[in-house]
Amino acid sequence: MSNQRIALAALGFVIVGGILATAAGCSSSSSATKVVLARAELGDLNPTIFGIGTVEAQRAYLVGPTLSSRVSQVLVDQGDLVRSGQLLAELDPVDLDERMASAQSAIDRAASAVEVAEAQLAEARSRSALATASSLRYTELRQRNFVSSEVTDGKQHEAKAALASLDAAKAALDAARRDHVRVKSDRAGVAKQRAQYHLRSPVDALVSAREAEPGSTVVAGQAVLRLIDTKSLWVKTRIDQGRSQRLAVGQVAAIVLRSRPNESIPGKVVRIEVSSDSVTEERLVDVVFDKPPENLSPGELAEVSIALPALKSALSVPSAAVHRLLQQTGVWRSLDQHASFQAVRIGAQTLEGRTQILEGLKEGDEVVEFSAAELHGGEKLHRVDSLAR
Amino acid sequence: MAAAILIKNLSKRYGSGDTAVDALRKVDMSVASGEVVGLVGPSGSGKTTLLKCLGAVIAPTTGTMTLAGQSIFDQNEGGWQIKDLPALRRDRIGFIFQAPYLIPFLNVTDNVALLPMLAGQSNATSRARALDLLRVLEVDHRAQAKVAQLSGGEQQRVAIARALVSRPPVILADEPTAPLDSERALTVIRILNQMAQQYGAAIIVVTHDEKIIPTFRRIYHIRDGCTFEEPGEGRPA
Amino acid sequence: MISLAGRDILHSWGKYVFTGAGLGLLIGVTLSMAGIYRGMVEDAKVLLTNSGADLWVVQRDTLGPYAESSTLHDDSWRTVAALPGIAATGNVTYLTMQAWRKNEDVRVFVVGFEYGHPGEPAYLIAGRPITRTHYECIADEKSGFVLGDRVRIRRHEYTVVGLTRRMVSASGDPMLFIPLKDAQEAQFLKDNDAIVNDRARTASNPSLNRPGIPGLLDAVIASQAANHNVNAILVRVAPGWNDTSVAANIHRWLRLQAYTGAQMEEILVAKLIATSAKQIAMFLVILSIVSGAIVSFIIYTMTMSKIREIAVLKLIGTRNRSIAAMILQEALGLGLAGFVVGKTVATLWAPYFPKYVLLESGDALRGFLAVMLICALASIVAIRAALRVDPATAIGG
Repeated sequence: MSNQRIALAALGFVIVGGILATAAGCSSSSSATKVVLARAELGDLNPTIFGIGTVEAQRAYLVGPTLSSRVSQVLVDQGDLVRSGQLLAELDPVDLDERMASAQSAIDRAASAVEVAEAQLAEARSRSALATASSLRYTELRQRNFVSSEVTDGKQHEAKAALASLDAAKAALDAARRDHVRVKSDRAGVAKQRAQYHLRSPVDALVSAREAEPGSTVVAGQAVLRLIDTKSLWVKTRIDQGRSQRLAVGQVAAIVLRSRPNESIPGKVVRIEVSSDSVTEERLVDVVFDKPPENLSPGELAEVSIALPALKSALSVPSAAVHRLLQQTGVWRSLDQHASFQAVRIGAQTLEGRTQILEGLKEGDEVVEFSAAELHGGEKLHRVDSLAR
Repeated sequence: MAAAILIKNLSKRYGSGDTAVDALRKVDMSVASGEVVGLVGPSGSGKTTLLKCLGAVIAPTTGTMTLAGQSIFDQNEGGWQIKDLPALRRDRIGFIFQAPYLIPFLNVTDNVALLPMLAGQSNATSRARALDLLRVLEVDHRAQAKVAQLSGGEQQRVAIARALVSRPPVILADEPTAPLDSERALTVIRILNQMAQQYGAAIIVVTHDEKIIPTFRRIYHIRDGCTFEEPGEGRPA
Repeated sequence: MISLAGRDILHSWGKYVFTGAGLGLLIGVTLSMAGIYRGMVEDAKVLLTNSGADLWVVQRDTLGPYAESSTLHDDSWRTVAALPGIAATGNVTYLTMQAWRKNEDVRVFVVGFEYGHPGEPAYLIAGRPITRTHYECIADEKSGFVLGDRVRIRRHEYTVVGLTRRMVSASGDPMLFIPLKDAQEAQFLKDNDAIVNDRARTASNPSLNRPGIPGLLDAVIASQAANHNVNAILVRVAPGWNDTSVAANIHRWLRLQAYTGAQMEEILVAKLIATSAKQIAMFLVILSIVSGAIVSFIIYTMTMSKIREIAVLKLIGTRNRSIAAMILQEALGLGLAGFVVGKTVATLWAPYFPKYVLLESGDALRGFLAVMLICALASIVAIRAALRVDPATAIGG
């Protein structure tokens, strides 16, 4: 009766409903691929290049000895400002002071030796004058035959000997004088060495590190103090080589320090380094702050965005629409609800995700921006407004 | 009147050897078509066994059974003479039980029409014949009802209709009035007599209901497997 | 002839539908398990397809980069790119790790890729590609990240600029794409405590910290703090060249391992998924046995409850085969109802599983045939019981 009818109807509903659900489950996997389309638009593009940089000092100085020695005094500490020529530290001169004294004594002794030689020269001169005069007199007498030639020869010999002695005394004086100069030079050398053990600041700078304490031994070339020129802090930025094409000195940059993530500090590109890093495949670009902020810390990380020249009225599509198929760059278009790959030539790309199209599309052309699955040529497409849930 | 049911020398022995039980011993019985006879006996007398033999559900040990002139069982000829016993029961024997035993998931018409359908008749013909019988038995107004919606008396009538739908020459009724009061019991006997007359069926009614025994013209008494015949009062119901 | 089975079902349709629903849930679970297996294989295939590579070049004698860890120098790509038949190469790193967003962490598969090279996500469903060389990322939507989220990986925060769909690792973790250099740092650089510890260890090593050589210790520490390793080089083969021969070239001349797409699929499916596949197969067998047992029990109970009617039917002349057919049809009907319910619920709850569940129509058909077969076999017990019923019992008393 009616009960049976109701039962039959209910059963029928269940079966039909089940079959429909099954069919729905089966068919969803074979329907068209959902895509979201976007238009190619004309507009101003502001391409930017992005890189991570480190705050560094353009000029940094290592102050240390040229000989291995022990540190005896360090007069400044990290954070001190120093002036050019200021004494920063002293190293232990060891025996240099004694060597200086010894050199000084040698100088005194050499000076005395010069005096001696001078006196000897005077004496030799006077003897020589006497012998010469005597020799002349006897020669004269010999000519008058008042003396024997033996005596005359003897006197001549004495005159010659006295002259030779004079020359010897002159030479001795020269030697003593030169010796005096030599020991003076020795002393000057020791004095210069002694000066090495005073470490002085080469420029006006900030002490960034104090690396040795009094008493520690340092080797030649090791730093006792590190100085940086505070006016020379900049951001050494690493830009991927693949994107470094249109970099130029003078471009405006926005710098975001890791310690101040919400502040964008303006700056400028001052140098693009000649050598790149071939291991990391990056170009090194130096960016200065227009107005260096306070408490800048060398070693801090920063994100740098360099603004390339803006492009006016450029045709662009969302970057998500650009794909590489085999070796070609292009976009997917929806022709008659089917996917078709269109090769294009692309230009600049912005950080916000737009890519300039130089060739292959015109304004208003629709391209596939998002798709629910990878597309293949000829695939059936179904346009939706959004794919994300 | 030709004998619709003819039984000669029927015996049934259960078991063998020392534990053998003779439920029936050399039973003779004959019932004419259109006749309603009673089969009376206490429990354990073998009347159920006799019904089972007549209903072709168990095989007798000895003897012969003939139904409407056709030999059903002849022990000398090797036992059952009919190959398809279910078909025999379906087409030639009608069963009426103590309880109606209608099929609960079929409606009244289909309960009755089932047998002709099983026999191969079309659904329309079977249902038409069923409806005829239901009309005769005055339960046609319940033709579409479910079995559970019928009263006891209505169910019994439907059961009778089912027993009659194949126009069987033999109807076996096992205690059909046991659960009924005297008025209803006599109604059933009256209907049985009416149907026997109308359709020419031979009806054996197994009973020990005192209320209806007087209505039989002939009664077979059975005790310890043996029967003897007795004329009954034949009082009209 | 009317259908006895049909009438019986209609008569007690409530019980029947209820039982069918219960069986259906069991079948739904079975179908879902098969779907999970298919989903895992599909995840592996999608992983390989979405990488856009024809060959995977990894450390020699490893099954990397997904099934085993593999390490290469990041300048090995130059020797690979110089071989004939190579159209493009791309360094990639892979690392499964936790990414933090606000206070919750998500397990992600971090992929380091190079812009413009194989390994970058081929298509997006929202946002834009990565334009800055650091600290931007593209996330798969399965991670739950949305555009603009700040995600923390190791020491840095990354902004989600794009979303993808169905880009997952072989174990179903959503992918997170970040620039290669950031990934190398993330994979290598540890937290600050560990770095300070490492520096102290190096400084206490007398052969690395010599007093007579200023600057040596700094140089050693600087070299320790740099990572120039990648996990694999993805290669696109030039048109007209055969993948297998290019891979053989790489293997022979460069002493590196190169796998084609077919080999990678086999590695992922045969080795990575093998254990899970066996588990799922066991589950399927157990569920099938359980389903069969339940159907068998239910049909037997339903038959036993009709034992009187069956005896009467047999007595009044119904053939054995009609009764057997009724029971068999009821069992098959139960199976059909259960299958319909099972397929429906499996389809409905599949998207809510944490892993990808792929319900194939081939599997559904096979499942349907299996259910029908199991129901038919399960009805044998009941049919035998029904056939054994003695019609004489209807003549009671």
